[in-house]
Amino acid sequence: MLATVTSAVLIGIDGHRVGVEVHVSAGLPSFTLVGLPDASCREARDRVRAAVLSSSFTFPPNRITVNLAPTNLKKTGPVLDVAVALAILAASDQLDPHLLQGAAFLGELGLDGRVRPVRGALPLAEVLNGGPLVVPTGNVGEVRLVAPEVRAAVTLRQLVDSIRGDSPWPDVDDQPATECCAGPPPDLAEVHGHPLGRLAMEVAAAGGHHTLMVGPPGAGKTMLAERLPGLLPDLAESEALEVARVHSAAGRSERHGGLPRRPPYRSPHHTASVVALIGGGSNQLRPGEISLASSGVLFLDELGEFPASHLDALRQPLESGRVEVVRAAVSASLPARFLLVGATNPCPCGWAPDVRCRCSPAQLARYARRMSGPLLDRFDLRLHLDPPDPSTLFAGPAGAESTASVRQRVLAARLRARHRGVSANRSLRGSALEQHAPLEPGAADLLRDRVDRGLLSVRGTMRLRAVALTLADLEGRDGPVTVDDVLLAECLRAHDVLPGTTA
Amino acid sequence: MSGLPHEAYLACMAGLPQVGPSTLRQLAALGPPDQTWSRLCAGQVPLGVVPRHATGPEALRQAWERAAAQVDPSGHWSRLRELGIGVTSLGCPGYPVSLVDDPEAPVVMFHQGDPSLLEGTCVAIVGTRRPTGYGRRIAHQLGSALAAEGISVVSGLALGIDAAAHAGAVGAGAAPIAVVGAGLDAPCPQANRPLARRIAATGLICSEVPVGVRAAPWRFPVRNRIVAAFARVVVVVESAVTGGSMSTVEHALQRSRTVLAVPGPIDAGTSAGTNRLIADGAGLCTGVGDVLASLGRSPSTAGVPSEVRRRSHPEGLAGVLLGLLGWRPETPDYLVHASGAGLREVIVALDWLTRHGWVTQQGGFVERLPVAPAPMAP
Repeated sequence: MLATVTSAVLIGIDGHRVGVEVHVSAGLPSFTLVGLPDASCREARDRVRAAVLSSSFTFPPNRITVNLAPTNLKKTGPVLDVAVALAILAASDQLDPHLLQGAAFLGELGLDGRVRPVRGALPLAEVLNGGPLVVPTGNVGEVRLVAPEVRAAVTLRQLVDSIRGDSPWPDVDDQPATECCAGPPPDLAEVHGHPLGRLAMEVAAAGGHHTLMVGPPGAGKTMLAERLPGLLPDLAESEALEVARVHSAAGRSERHGGLPRRPPYRSPHHTASVVALIGGGSNQLRPGEISLASSGVLFLDELGEFPASHLDALRQPLESGRVEVVRAAVSASLPARFLLVGATNPCPCGWAPDVRCRCSPAQLARYARRMSGPLLDRFDLRLHLDPPDPSTLFAGPAGAESTASVRQRVLAARLRARHRGVSANRSLRGSALEQHAPLEPGAADLLRDRVDRGLLSVRGTMRLRAVALTLADLEGRDGPVTVDDVLLAECLRAHDVLPGTTA
Repeated sequence: MSGLPHEAYLACMAGLPQVGPSTLRQLAALGPPDQTWSRLCAGQVPLGVVPRHATGPEALRQAWERAAAQVDPSGHWSRLRELGIGVTSLGCPGYPVSLVDDPEAPVVMFHQGDPSLLEGTCVAIVGTRRPTGYGRRIAHQLGSALAAEGISVVSGLALGIDAAAHAGAVGAGAAPIAVVGAGLDAPCPQANRPLARRIAATGLICSEVPVGVRAAPWRFPVRNRIVAAFARVVVVVESAVTGGSMSTVEHALQRSRTVLAVPGPIDAGTSAGTNRLIADGAGLCTGVGDVLASLGRSPSTAGVPSEVRRRSHPEGLAGVLLGLLGWRPETPDYLVHASGAGLREVIVALDWLTRHGWVTQQGGFVERLPVAPAPMAP
């Protein structure tokens, strides 16, 4: 007898609909799984058999063939377990096949018949929309974002009872939104001193400008970077859904109920592999850190310790905002619109250009070479941070502006950018920049002088102009970019912050 | 093989492993260099000339034998000819006069450029490879002022003070002389190669290290004795107490050369060595006049830049900021904190100070300038 159940598998961050066809026929008892399953998917045979028996059903002592259609698509992971089990029950007359028609099932089975949550339930649910959908209880929170009518499965026994109508579908208690489980984000008011660093964070948040901070250990680079996400505006509906989709596909949907409203913040360690950063893997194509940080902040601490090849792999996603991960059998397009913040020591010992620095000129040059020119060029803001003056440390909380009040200015600046047709000023190029960032005569002279003296490239001039425009936006000022804006932007874009780059 | 000059064999010997100036001198003393070379190839040099080495003299002699088998003196000689490198050896005409009665005279010298420069007056400018802006500026000024006085500047073509002094001297008058610690095919760090080409074109680059031998740390202090021997006066611009420049000073004192030191801030590690030298009796160098005085000359009236560039006096916040800047680099953050003014105002005032030649801004640091820099060439 034949039965078909609908389910889905994940590639990258996209779900693909899969039909699970089971044929039970007379013959010697056997259980064959075909249709390009990978190792973890093939193991479904053993899990399903044990779960069916543990749930007091009969495992048919016949010849069982399971086909996963379409057969050219590679299936990975245990997400099809529940569908296979139900199809076997239906094909062996233990469940009416008509009850399964039009419905879709996701879930991994435990040997005791329990239904376990799966990775990527949200994108999987999106592709299965249209009919009744049953997912493990642990996935209900995220799936509700796209399929409000979703039903939960706790065990295989309960699932079959509910399908038959013998018992009601289990209530999934509406777990309250636990967004604040991570505690309140760090506040900018806790940062003493660092006027330039604070301004850089504000400008980075308002204009989306990638930022590089160079300074000795303990200067406060990480502290500032951690406060950047708090300055960013809330995620828009579409952005939030994309963030939820990526995080679901990576198996890190911790928040139940409600879309993530705050931009993500990722800070991978410098030993991360290039696949962990960019995304990939042999046949699953999991999203990497740059996709997890999409619409948020990617903070690379100790940038100088990352292998140069890893850093250069960031260049293309930085330009395009997406990353196409391609392998022989599969490919996926993943979002990568992140705000890059790098922090590094100026040299291996950390103290250059201070006299305390014990590094040789060759060491300095080698350290600076790790960051290729093209990558450095993509940092609109580059600043040197020194530890703040000791007297500011104990000055008390007075004076330092809080995240909330800085964010007001950032939101207003982002609004101005949106009126120009971009999400942030960083995206302004060429003629759009000419149109939206007119220069005061003095400011134009200043830029021309810098180009004449070889301090700025033409491309650098454009980036400087975009930063100057963001500075004017933060002041809430219309009209042309002033000399002050350009000077301040120049100060935020020191061209030789890495001591080894100059002879 | 006969017909090759002695220098060809000496050059090959100098390129053998673990051969420094003193070993080479002993090898040269064994007899005619072509015969000594044959003995080296046969592994028959007396163990007495083999230097003490971790592997033992027997092993090193075998290493020499293996290395010598790889080298063809006539090929090496023609390579030198192709590169346009001149060779002189101790006792031959053309050997630098200032080295002839030196206690540690190099047996063989390679040079590129004009060896007659060594007959003129030479002054060495040495210092740390990691100078401050101050040291770099002073070295550059001294280099160009001495060159304008017709004095050849001798230095080591290393990064930092050496390069600044050479860069100041090139094209300013008398051509500079570089004494390097590596083979002349790759005489200096990559960053200084353009400078080295300019010196080779007008001045002189010389070395006792044969072509094809890379720089090794032990060769630099050894090289410094030649710098000291060439110069009549050695000026130390910036150096830590244990810097490599101190070895040049020692060699200079052994050879009765005058040593001058440029003083610096007492809280700067880069000037600790020079301040210590002054305390220990070295001459004080406060400008090119002191160097000329120690040579027994007075500044010629013609070449000295006499134009004083006037700077407008800073007012308001700019004046306050200038008062806050000591003689060490500070960040704008510090100036904001210390002046109590807003970041925007501080940046604008710093721009005014930069434009009027009071400060220079580099790599996120602000540094005060004692005199206005020369106006930019159009």
